[in-house]
Amino acid sequence: MLELKHIKKSFDGVDILKDINLTINTGEIVSILGPSGSGKTTLLNIILGITDTDSGEIEFDGEDITNVPMEKRQFNLVFQDYALFPNLNAYKNITYGLRNKPNISTEEEVNDLIDLLGLREHIDKNIDQLSGGQKQRVALARTMVMKPKVLLLDEPLSALDGVIKESIKDRIKTIAKEFNLTTIIVTHDPEEALTLSDKVLIINEGHISQFDRPEQIINKPSNMFVKEFILNQLEIKRNNILTLFNRSCAV
Amino acid sequence: MKTKNTELKIIFVLIILFFAVFLFFPAIKLALKSFECDGGFGLENYINVITEKNFLTALLNSINISVVSALLSTFIAFMMAYTINYTNANKYVKKIIGAVAILPMFLPTITYGFAIIYSFGKQGLVTKILGRQLFDIYGYKGLLLGYLIYTLPISFMLINNTILYLDKKFMIVSRVMGDNKLNTLWMTILRPLAGTFTCSVIQCFFLCFTDFGIPASVGGKFDVVASVLYEEMLGAIPNFNNGAVVAIVMLLPSVVSIIGLTIIEKYNIRYNKISTIELTKSKARDILCSIFSLGVVFSIITIFSVIVFIPFVKGWPYDISFTFDNVKTVFSDNNLVGVYENSLITAILTAVIGTVIAYGATLITARSNLDERIKKVLETSSVVTNTIPGMVLGIAFLLAFKGGPLHNTFAIIILCNIVHFFSTPYLMMKNSLSKMNRSWETTARLMGDNWMKTIIRVVTPNAFTTLLEVFSYYFVNAMVTVSAVIFIAGARTMVITTKIKELQHFAKFNEIFVLSLLILVTNLAAKVIFNYLANRRKNSNEN
Repeated sequence: MLELKHIKKSFDGVDILKDINLTINTGEIVSILGPSGSGKTTLLNIILGITDTDSGEIEFDGEDITNVPMEKRQFNLVFQDYALFPNLNAYKNITYGLRNKPNISTEEEVNDLIDLLGLREHIDKNIDQLSGGQKQRVALARTMVMKPKVLLLDEPLSALDGVIKESIKDRIKTIAKEFNLTTIIVTHDPEEALTLSDKVLIINEGHISQFDRPEQIINKPSNMFVKEFILNQLEIKRNNILTLFNRSCAV
Repeated sequence: MKTKNTELKIIFVLIILFFAVFLFFPAIKLALKSFECDGGFGLENYINVITEKNFLTALLNSINISVVSALLSTFIAFMMAYTINYTNANKYVKKIIGAVAILPMFLPTITYGFAIIYSFGKQGLVTKILGRQLFDIYGYKGLLLGYLIYTLPISFMLINNTILYLDKKFMIVSRVMGDNKLNTLWMTILRPLAGTFTCSVIQCFFLCFTDFGIPASVGGKFDVVASVLYEEMLGAIPNFNNGAVVAIVMLLPSVVSIIGLTIIEKYNIRYNKISTIELTKSKARDILCSIFSLGVVFSIITIFSVIVFIPFVKGWPYDISFTFDNVKTVFSDNNLVGVYENSLITAILTAVIGTVIAYGATLITARSNLDERIKKVLETSSVVTNTIPGMVLGIAFLLAFKGGPLHNTFAIIILCNIVHFFSTPYLMMKNSLSKMNRSWETTARLMGDNWMKTIIRVVTPNAFTTLLEVFSYYFVNAMVTVSAVIFIAGARTMVITTKIKELQHFAKFNEIFVLSLLILVTNLAAKVIFNYLANRRKNSNEN
């Protein structure tokens, strides 16, 4: 269980996060959803440990980890641009962490991960020979080898196109369920957030607008922001798609 | 971030100490020396130097010839770059132009002078072939020719590099908008290159103004600041105080030009996207440009051919039968072989240590989250090294470390070289490091790496090609430099370039050319090796 209590953060006198309180249960997939500048990336960085909080506490499984450095938290992040090392091939990227912690994953576990993520045929390839979706899966595998206690994903789908997006979504869900892994995803796309996660954290101007299950957010939006910016977008999308299908049905 | 950055802070302290001792201390020492006079400090030395009629003439001469050389060199370099990038000239012709344009870089400037003497002098190769001397080589014309050869590679590389990053698509835009040919040329090539032209002129001016090798060989009675400076320091009646004043005077235009350069660089045009287009057909343009560029190529090769030619004939110009004797003499002369070894060792150590220092400094400025002020200090030190001409730095070193433990050691030459050429490696390294993915260090730390491991496993392998380029830059420059080391090389620590200066005194030109050839061959061999290493690296990454 990950708990955030009264988290505050400002940069150069501008308040980015104002009193964030939040509890995430083990094994849950949570999306942090908000417009640019809402503070979602800062929140991600605070959970990971890249950024210090100004005040407040972070607890993990009842333990205060506010002042525990990034690498000791054993959380892990997949960057939006994957940050794969171009001097190493896919396999060496995946097993990068094993050089430091040889026993963290067995060879069998690594192989299972490679198969689970459908990377078997790509493991000898160089990074720039991989497609966007393959890169994403290599980065995901590299992170999973480290057996993180919390998996953080920064805009994991934003650089991918249509069909790949849906397949990566499924992979993320599979991984979370398979390993009962707490997964936190930052995104600016309501559709992504609401279809991928168990719970969605909507954040706006440093405040939590709503933190709920997707169906609750759709049925009971807690304020105007959620209604206008989140639901409205989905409505428009739905109508467009329905119109499209009706038209083709009519033909 | 919750890290202490201990390693980076140690690196920072070491580099700052390095600059404090080997840049700022000598510079201050030099400044003090220039104000030192009987019973304290004053402007006496300055008044002495400036009221000498000879000095003002030399100063004006220097400015005059440097400006003319800079303008001409930039024009020639542009024509060559234009031929390569904007004409449909034969692709081998283009290759030759590109290769010969940068060839002079691999030789010391002092050699150019002697090459000019042996091609255009009274007994020169070209003079013999044509049956008459084309112009008097000692003085203005010889200097001008020398400076042109010296600055052409730098100007060419600057301009050619910018052209590569010009979006050629704008030529189509300009044409469909109804511009005539002249307007198209202006709008799509000349105007975008204006900043680079200015940079080139300033850079070439700086190089000519501060070079020592060319005036040392073909200066004749045409005094320039560099020759006055040499006279004051190592001439018949050395006067270190006056020398210090001349050095400071040489420093001023240099500082101004480098500040100018940094300002102009900010105004350079940057295109977001570079696209290439099919060039319009114009036989006349292709032929004229090819003829011009090949003319320049031919001149350079002619001048340098004497370096290859003279050592292999028995007694130029009277007995031109082929011989290996001169080369044998040099290789059987332990002294000369020793000098070559000295040069090689100095160049390798300069390259190794210099690359490490530049890498350390840029890891801080480009890839750390240390305080901005810390980065600023390193950035400033790097700019300062750029403003100090080699001769000035050499004299500052001479004054600062005379009689100390560093006096007459290889260490002082190596340290001087590292400081002298620091700026370019620093910028090359910084450019490459700042382009790398920002998230690597965080990712590697999440995978359990400490800082050192990240650098070894991720950053260094990806910076490998640039590290090689930096190494090669340091190596080649350390091999050819003469301006700084002339003041600090002792009898035991002689390197090839200073030996050449000494051999000039005894008119031993065969030895001079054999040694020059050795430098050329060494540098070309080094280039081949570095290119091979860089390519092998690339290929192994692709497999």
